[in-house]
Amino acid sequence: MEVMSMSEDEGALESDTGDSSLRSRLTSPSYIKRVLGVLAGILALLGVLGLLFPTSVAGDLSRIVFRWSVLVQALRISTPIALAAIGGIFAEKSGVINIGLEGLLIISAFAAVYLTAVLGPDTTIAFIPAIWIGFAGGVLASVVLAWVFAVVCIEFKADQIIAGLAVWLIALGLAPFASTLYFGSRDSGSLGVTIGNWPIVIMIASVAIAWVVLYRTSFGRYIRAAGENPRALDTAGVSVSRVRYAGVLLSGVFAGMGGASLSLTIGLFGGTGETMVEGRGFIAIVAYLFGNYNPLGAFGASLLFGGLEAIQIRLQQLGYAIPDTLVQTIPYIVVILVLAFVGRTRIPKAAGEHYETEE
Amino acid sequence: MSRNIDRRTIIKGAGIAGIAGLAGCTGGPSDGNGGNGDDGNGNGGNGNGDDGNGNGDDGNGNGDDGNGNGDDIDANIGMVYAEAGLGDNSFNDAAQRGLLAADEDFNIEYNEVEPNDTGEFSQFQRQFAEDGSYDLITCIGFAQQDALTETSADYPDQQFMIVDAVVEDADNVANYLFRENEGSFLVGYLAAQLTQTDLSVGSDDDERSTNTDESLVGFVGGVDAPLIRTFQAGFEAGVEYADGDVESTSTYTGSFNDPSAGREAALSMYDDGADIVYHASGGTGVGVFQAADDEGRFAIGVDSDQSITEPDFADVILASMVKLVETPVYESIQNTIEGSFQGGSAVTLGLEEEGVGVVYGDELGDEISQDVKDAVATARQEIIDGEIEVPTEP
Repeated sequence: MEVMSMSEDEGALESDTGDSSLRSRLTSPSYIKRVLGVLAGILALLGVLGLLFPTSVAGDLSRIVFRWSVLVQALRISTPIALAAIGGIFAEKSGVINIGLEGLLIISAFAAVYLTAVLGPDTTIAFIPAIWIGFAGGVLASVVLAWVFAVVCIEFKADQIIAGLAVWLIALGLAPFASTLYFGSRDSGSLGVTIGNWPIVIMIASVAIAWVVLYRTSFGRYIRAAGENPRALDTAGVSVSRVRYAGVLLSGVFAGMGGASLSLTIGLFGGTGETMVEGRGFIAIVAYLFGNYNPLGAFGASLLFGGLEAIQIRLQQLGYAIPDTLVQTIPYIVVILVLAFVGRTRIPKAAGEHYETEE
Repeated sequence: MSRNIDRRTIIKGAGIAGIAGLAGCTGGPSDGNGGNGDDGNGNGGNGNGDDGNGNGDDGNGNGDDGNGNGDDIDANIGMVYAEAGLGDNSFNDAAQRGLLAADEDFNIEYNEVEPNDTGEFSQFQRQFAEDGSYDLITCIGFAQQDALTETSADYPDQQFMIVDAVVEDADNVANYLFRENEGSFLVGYLAAQLTQTDLSVGSDDDERSTNTDESLVGFVGGVDAPLIRTFQAGFEAGVEYADGDVESTSTYTGSFNDPSAGREAALSMYDDGADIVYHASGGTGVGVFQAADDEGRFAIGVDSDQSITEPDFADVILASMVKLVETPVYESIQNTIEGSFQGGSAVTLGLEEEGVGVVYGDELGDEISQDVKDAVATARQEIIDGEIEVPTEP
């Protein structure tokens, strides 16, 4: 199995230069199937154990896991992570490693709340509630920051890792500072309105759209080629840097939706410490690596993390004699374990490298 | 070649932008007054605080330019806030109220800093101590304990005070502790009584009510630290004291700045049938209020009267367990001025000293029946008289 999928991967590599996207399609699903299989097995085992021993730990766990509200909660927690992860996929598939996702989340979380507050949370403009205009504003802010990142990395060939860190640090400083100027404090305070669970719908739609774009359109092929074999793309007469610009800007779009979702779901921006984003952008990087650069995989990884987080919250409430701090680490530990035993990631070949076109 | 220069310029530009960003993020002592420090007007950190605003003008004016000319002032104070920073509508804002009250009553100068993470406590404490012109450095929050243990040893002639922790064997540190468990006991007692009564306010689409089918109340903590556990312990003991049938459940979010996590934690409790959730989680707590708002349930605030400091949620906040951080701040400044600085001592403020207490919600307080309020008042007296022992460990 291992050997077979390895060879398929090699196929995927070649396919980006040519046109046999069939093989790359086969690759990713087999990996996803494997991960899904393991998870389904664990869930089934849990369900059976829970039914057999309703008073045991397994019983408690299965009562938590098989519950609609927990699923909704898991989806809600995973939404900003999954959206940022999809953004990361587009950037890195095109050859630009964007570790500034955290910064994009921060800036969009702030901008969305800011714009909503400026417009007045309860107003509607041209039948669009202010909060949705704020959402769009958050996305725009993220795209602008992503564009700066793209210019620095693609035009001026700065080190992508350093530029990505700069994106994070700039947002980490700028958003709370701007919040202090406008709201008088690093935390914005409640807007009084929220967008409810709509971000979940947006996230699921984004996963589907991202998958279709990446694997079913010629633009998606360009993106993948720019990250795997930019020379071939260049030879085919497509500008590598334009494709990479598109990839990075798309990462701004998706991460922007993630950040705006995060802040508008709760209707406020928190800028204290690491800000309310609290490392979700970095978890998103893990999520897409874990999902092997496939939007579906990234979604699964985010949902795994969100699900474990939701379970963890409820596990604490059962009041087992395990320290809460230990329970809080369950999502991270499981993700590391799964990464180590099931995960397998193949980084796009030309990711992180500059491409000098030979005219 | 021109390409190279371009590249260098842009990287330099990015570097400067990055440093500027970092500066905005970390700040220094002189940045302590927020973004508008230069015009000496208004109170940057506390735009939505309540009584902090009125006297911000002269206070910041003093703080900005006045270090070191200690001839005609009573005391020069260096204030290091806790991580959540000013504008938390809670802990730090309360500390600032104490500072501003002292500024009104005495002729003091002060400088405020808002550290962004625990690593910066030591840096700011040392900056103040190194300066030498401060008569007292006030450190807010238990997280400063480790840093202050070292700083106070390195600057034995500098007077410090710390709230919420004790720095052992340091004659130059005045320690102030609160018995949060006592105040939390009372809100737990209140919650347990209310969860069994049919309390319903608001109308139609904005109705909030207790869940009479279940007798469950909840507690959401920030970081799982001994201090926060005393809140939990008091709350659970209060619930237990009211009625053995009422259950309480608790969750720690692992952060004081993650309102989303606070919301999820509280939502899961409301989903399980809880109707009143108490929080001791700083900025995370806004998420608890939002969850109560979403689900049409109730919440209990902490540190300040949050029905006033979070007016948007006045319709869900039944009461707040207030912790008068202003008291030790004011008192230690007064002691310093009067030459009675209590270095090496630890003062504990409980219900009796009115360091903690229960304040009913601005909007919902009237909905709570007098019987329940009387019962809470009785329990308060019993704690003061020592008839009720409130645990500090859950």
